[in-house]
Amino acid sequence: MLTTRRSAALFAAGAAALALTSCGSDATDTPGGTAPTEVSTEITSDPVTLTLAYTDDPPTQALVDGFTALHPNVTIETQQTPFSDYVKSVQLAMSSESPPDIAQYNPGAMRSLVPAGLILDLSAWSDAYGWDASFPASSLEVLTSDDEAKQYGEGGLYAVPGALSVLGVYYNKDLVTAAGVDGAPATLDEFEDDLAAVAASGVDPLTVPSLEVGGVHLWGALLNRLGDVQDYKDWVYGVDGSTIQTPAAEEATDIMVDWIAKGYIPESSNAVGYADAIGEFTAGEAAYHVTGNWAAAAIEAELGDNVGFFPMPRPTADAPMVASGASVAYSISAKSEHPDVAAAFLDYLGSAEAAPVQFESGFMPVNVDATVEATGLKADIATAFSQVVAVDGIVPFPDFAAPAMLDQLVSGIQGLISKQSTTDQYLEGLQNVWSSYHG
Amino acid sequence: MADPRTTVVARSSPPAAGLRRGGAPSRPGRRRWSGWLYILPAAAVYLAFAIWPTIAAARLSFFEWNGILPPRWVGLDNYREIFDTPALYGAVGHSLVLVVFFSVIPVAFGLFLTAMLSGRVRRGMAFFRVVFFLPQVLPLVAVGITWRWLYSDDGVVNEALTAVGLGGITRAWLGDYGVALFALGLIGTWVMSGLCMMLFLSGVQKIDPSLYEAAVLDGAGAVRQFFAVTLPGLRGEVSIAAVITTIAALASFDLVYVTTNGGPANQTTVPGLLVYRLAFTQGDIGGASALAVVLAVTVIGLVTVIRWLTKERS
Repeated sequence: MLTTRRSAALFAAGAAALALTSCGSDATDTPGGTAPTEVSTEITSDPVTLTLAYTDDPPTQALVDGFTALHPNVTIETQQTPFSDYVKSVQLAMSSESPPDIAQYNPGAMRSLVPAGLILDLSAWSDAYGWDASFPASSLEVLTSDDEAKQYGEGGLYAVPGALSVLGVYYNKDLVTAAGVDGAPATLDEFEDDLAAVAASGVDPLTVPSLEVGGVHLWGALLNRLGDVQDYKDWVYGVDGSTIQTPAAEEATDIMVDWIAKGYIPESSNAVGYADAIGEFTAGEAAYHVTGNWAAAAIEAELGDNVGFFPMPRPTADAPMVASGASVAYSISAKSEHPDVAAAFLDYLGSAEAAPVQFESGFMPVNVDATVEATGLKADIATAFSQVVAVDGIVPFPDFAAPAMLDQLVSGIQGLISKQSTTDQYLEGLQNVWSSYHG
Repeated sequence: MADPRTTVVARSSPPAAGLRRGGAPSRPGRRRWSGWLYILPAAAVYLAFAIWPTIAAARLSFFEWNGILPPRWVGLDNYREIFDTPALYGAVGHSLVLVVFFSVIPVAFGLFLTAMLSGRVRRGMAFFRVVFFLPQVLPLVAVGITWRWLYSDDGVVNEALTAVGLGGITRAWLGDYGVALFALGLIGTWVMSGLCMMLFLSGVQKIDPSLYEAAVLDGAGAVRQFFAVTLPGLRGEVSIAAVITTIAALASFDLVYVTTNGGPANQTTVPGLLVYRLAFTQGDIGGASALAVVLAVTVIGLVTVIRWLTKERS
């Protein structure tokens, strides 16, 4: 009995593998995506074991525990890989004969896994469960692409988020108060006045870790508040004919160049790493620091009540709220034997039950209707996040635009900070990388 | 018992085996095979982890491949693309500058130290040797991170400069557009000098002391002795040191990756870093392989030149 069932399963797996191989080998004319049509929102009550490959923890383990508590018959075995090795390892694991059922989404890895047909298109489950309603639209958009994983924003859905994050400005309350600044600024002009006041009081206004992505975060935050959101998204998603050489991007870059000229961002920033900058900020050596909610726990542990958070201010008080954000998302393997169970896990991520788990692990909840209890810095972040998400203002980070974009952004910002390149040269460099990938 | 004895006999009279025509013809043949057996483990490891990856990379350089989808034959396209990339020329230029810091300066410095330390037994020699060789023992990643702190805006280097009244030139050395590459190179000098000195100190011990005595009798001073006796005697060691350090400079990756990651504004990119980026952030395994092949050919070319320059000519 057992043997028959196992051999049947083996046969099915073998047939699926054959189908996939044939699908992959003539990738030129066959669409890469694998989209199941008959799906179920009911899951078996028999014991099921799934495997899950991931790199980010928190939140992964807490979410797995939360799900298996609700479904005691499901066991999820987790395999963690450090981030530096994750892209390579998940590519190898997902293209192997017996891949994990669920894998944490990574745009770099999925750029080759989705075209190879190794990741399920989740559209059918999305319709069955109504994920459009339970997940914020902007968080699903960035996980949606054509089956070559080249143009994003429409097409198949290849992952759903398990936790969200948002970029904003942390500020040291004592330092800004000493400079005569009263709390968070409402507009960008007011923020510039505050920076000037802090600088005049003899304190470094900003710490920008431009050795790594810190400078890109600051530039992206400025751009998001100044530019047209759809133009920006089109560019990041790779829509034909998009460009970053827009007046808004020039204005955002010019503001940064101005801050560099005024000494708010010194040349030494180019030698400052991410952890160094958090260290400087928590040691009270700078008044403002731009980063995401993921740093909240480390910053609050050092500064306690003395730190606040606000989204990058708008040019005018009635402009829409926009902020860069990302998600820790999960995909399902096309070779999974229990895709319905895996999809039930994904559905759990958008549920109200998962919201406190996500918030406690330092992220923003996916289910935006769920209310979370918070005080202090976390309350500031939750408020900022709910304002942004209410108008669907979460946009992807700019490095999403092309595989080589991150290196170009980091070195481009370093060029601005070294006063070696101009706004035009910087934007042209970005557009060249975009064109050579999408053009 | 019998086997070792035969070996001893064979070794003590090697021509005998060839001359002994009447002997069993199978014996030398068997011995030849047993020789292969001895090198088999090492040869297998070498083939599997050095030769095969080299062949595989050379082969992949003719394909377009992202690591998952079936590779597509593109002929020389990857190579054409590489030579069309301006970033490569910058990276090659940077690595040539690094050759000066990783190879030329350490060899010169190592020779200088050897001249200072050799020939005179000094107390504390072992201590000096340990101190200078220490950087070789440390993992380069740890070296890089340590130097990042030393070079930082409020690091030890700037504190020392301020202490001696040079506060005017302090800066975040690795973040400075103009000097980052030289600052990076000096880390290499620090790492490689000890290696060169160790090689030269051990080499100097095998120089016949009578040569120095003869030189002294001819009235040669310390400088003359160094150029007439020490330097020619160390020709082999200098050659080896130059080869090892030049390869380290051209193929450098880890030190650059942890200190500047090519920054600021691509002032410290090296070919090794570009190979890594192509393969692991851009998913272009074919292009990365092509660049790696070009890098390997460059290294072999330069090493050949060094070997030729330092070859003993009669």
